[in-house]
Amino acid sequence: MFTTGSKYFIGVTALSLVAAILYMFLVNPSDLGALALVGLAVSAATMAGFALFTRDSDVETVEEAVEASAAPTDASYWPIVFALGGAMVLLGMATIPVVFVLGIAVLVGGGVEWTIQSWADRASADTSYNRGVRAKVLGGIEYPGLSAVVAIVVAFLFSRVMLATSKDAATIIFIIIASIIFALGFVFASRADLRRKAVTLVLPLAVAVLAIAGIVSAMSGEREQLVEAAREDHFAAEHRECGEEASKYYDKHANNKVSLRSAVIATITVENGEVYAQMVGLDTKVDTITIPRMNATTVLFRNRDAEERRLVVDLGTREVEDSDIVEKVGTCTQLTGKDQEQVLTLTIPKPATEEAPYSFYVPGVNGKIGLVVP
Amino acid sequence: MDTVSRVKSSRRRIFGTLAPVAAAVTLAGCATNAPQDTFQPDGPNSQMIHDLNMLVFPIAGVVGVLVISLAVYIFWRYKDRGQAIPSQAHGKPVAEIVLTIVPALILSVVGVFTFRTIFDLAETQDTEIIINVTGQQWWWEYDYPVQPELGINQPIVTSGQLVFPAGTKVLLRETSRDVIHSYWIPRLNGKKDAVPGRVHLLRLEADKPGIYAGQCAEFCGLSHANMRMEAVALSKEDFAKWVANQQKAYTPPAAGTIEAEGEAVFIAQCSRCHQVNGLEDSQGKPIISAPDENVYSGAAPNLTALMTRNTFAGAMFDLVTDKCRADVWDASAEEFGERYLQGVTEDCLNQKDLRAWLRNAPEMKPMYADPTLLEPTDGKYRGMPYLALSEDDIDKLVAYLLTLK
Repeated sequence: MFTTGSKYFIGVTALSLVAAILYMFLVNPSDLGALALVGLAVSAATMAGFALFTRDSDVETVEEAVEASAAPTDASYWPIVFALGGAMVLLGMATIPVVFVLGIAVLVGGGVEWTIQSWADRASADTSYNRGVRAKVLGGIEYPGLSAVVAIVVAFLFSRVMLATSKDAATIIFIIIASIIFALGFVFASRADLRRKAVTLVLPLAVAVLAIAGIVSAMSGEREQLVEAAREDHFAAEHRECGEEASKYYDKHANNKVSLRSAVIATITVENGEVYAQMVGLDTKVDTITIPRMNATTVLFRNRDAEERRLVVDLGTREVEDSDIVEKVGTCTQLTGKDQEQVLTLTIPKPATEEAPYSFYVPGVNGKIGLVVP
Repeated sequence: MDTVSRVKSSRRRIFGTLAPVAAAVTLAGCATNAPQDTFQPDGPNSQMIHDLNMLVFPIAGVVGVLVISLAVYIFWRYKDRGQAIPSQAHGKPVAEIVLTIVPALILSVVGVFTFRTIFDLAETQDTEIIINVTGQQWWWEYDYPVQPELGINQPIVTSGQLVFPAGTKVLLRETSRDVIHSYWIPRLNGKKDAVPGRVHLLRLEADKPGIYAGQCAEFCGLSHANMRMEAVALSKEDFAKWVANQQKAYTPPAAGTIEAEGEAVFIAQCSRCHQVNGLEDSQGKPIISAPDENVYSGAAPNLTALMTRNTFAGAMFDLVTDKCRADVWDASAEEFGERYLQGVTEDCLNQKDLRAWLRNAPEMKPMYADPTLLEPTDGKYRGMPYLALSEDDIDKLVAYLLTLK
């Protein structure tokens, strides 16, 4: 019943399982050692299954032996791919991690292909049957895998083009390409006879154009604004001047629409140069907002005036660790246009002191809203 | 005894056992001393739900009984007795139309009343007092925003018992600091989930002064069943007294007393997490607790005026003895305020549970407070940990806590 090979692997499975259980009880149930032993048990069990299923790949007749030892009729390129993967892994270890990771992927992909190819070439003496079994096993992996690789390459190259051109040009390029794809799709769908020839002509051409454009764009680098944004870290806290004036960086891409209206604790509005607050659930105006301590709480800011405004929360001051420097604590929304809104989400761990109470204010507008944290 | 008799006897035994159990379960629904009974509304919001229930329940009941009776009859009448398979017919337009229209009509009637009730319950524009309710594992915090018209000139933070004026439209603004909880005082309104990062509104109103029990209604972890709450409705005059007392300045115990020693123990052992407003260190600086550094949810109950409450540990335990508790719970609406405002006196203090809690809190309430299992929470507790207090320290602490009124 059990083949010689399967007995060996069943033995390994049992031994590693016992070792894993002992390790978990005696050493540590959740560290890497236990995981490795369980992994070994699962791997050995899988191999035992294979050995049982293939009966140790034994042949029972002379014909089978002839088929199994027949030389493959097709040349295999997978050893070369596998070797390329190995070279990339070595190169990656000496250069950058991404080459190493790609090398591992090529090694795994090439190894799987090579293994299945070798098995399929010897499945029978019939070459077409062998090709069929290979396609049956690998078809489900190759097509989605290849599609994913192509999609990643296309997206990467296209993104290089978008990042290298100006914002306006990028929009136009995007619209043109989308229109061309739509038009071609429409033509292919309506003229079935064109499909095969056109696809074999257009797709390689499009990929070639995209590859050239992407490589050229990548070499020329990203547009100046993006380079500056990356260099200056535009959205870093230190760029939040929180004053009346527009910040060169922080206000660059203000999004004046929010979808969080139902989860706010209070609304602060600027209208006719006055600032007032309303607690959620009530229309009456209040001059103090109380928010729970140490709980992420959201306040909605609405600007009804023509001038751009921002909401600032003043959370007192704090001493910078290991220094005599005292810095202001607080944050703010970006500048908000007329009839638009933004939210501030605050998590405040400690209540204010009597000497330095917390408050909300809008630069350039009279009035403050008290912020009480019990 | 023949087989038929044995079967009949066996059926009689089963029926004889099940019938009293079913009767007991059914009769339990008639209990009047049931603090979490949705069939005994004590406020306009719960009354609205009850009125809707009184309409929907009979309709649903009649439909349910009809459907089940019909199904049982058909199972019995047409069960396989070896008879020939009857002729098969398909399609009966009149029956199909009737069976579509009748449920649609029933649902329309139920829908009209249900939607009207939902909108009425969501009304908030006539709110008279706002209270923030924050859930965390496994207790509720209540903070009263500044509302000068009610005499609340500084925020009041309490826990365990929600205190509010009777006959007043209270708007609860619910949220959570950790996982989803659900606030439910059955006699006053339906449930409302408290969700981290969101503010959900729930209206409460009690017809008369009294105390109303509740229970977290959303599974929220190990001690979900112990996450209770009590809503205390006081007359407007009594509520004003309660507010004034909560805002009263802190009076430190006289030097040299056991209470003063208890204050020192509290500062050393408890003030890292528990806030007592007005408490100062030896240099005269206010002591601000830092539960955000020690507790996973970032909060621990504020113990200012602790002894004005009747419960502790997420309302799982009473701060008062059974007798004193009964005095408050059983008081008439007229006497209730006076008894409740007495707070916890030395005679009434539930020394047994409070001391046991101080001795080893995790033993009293499951709270993931084992220091060896705090890796997933970066060393922060999900409840009060074991503090290894000596009996001497516990004596001092109890004496000190009794002064927090």
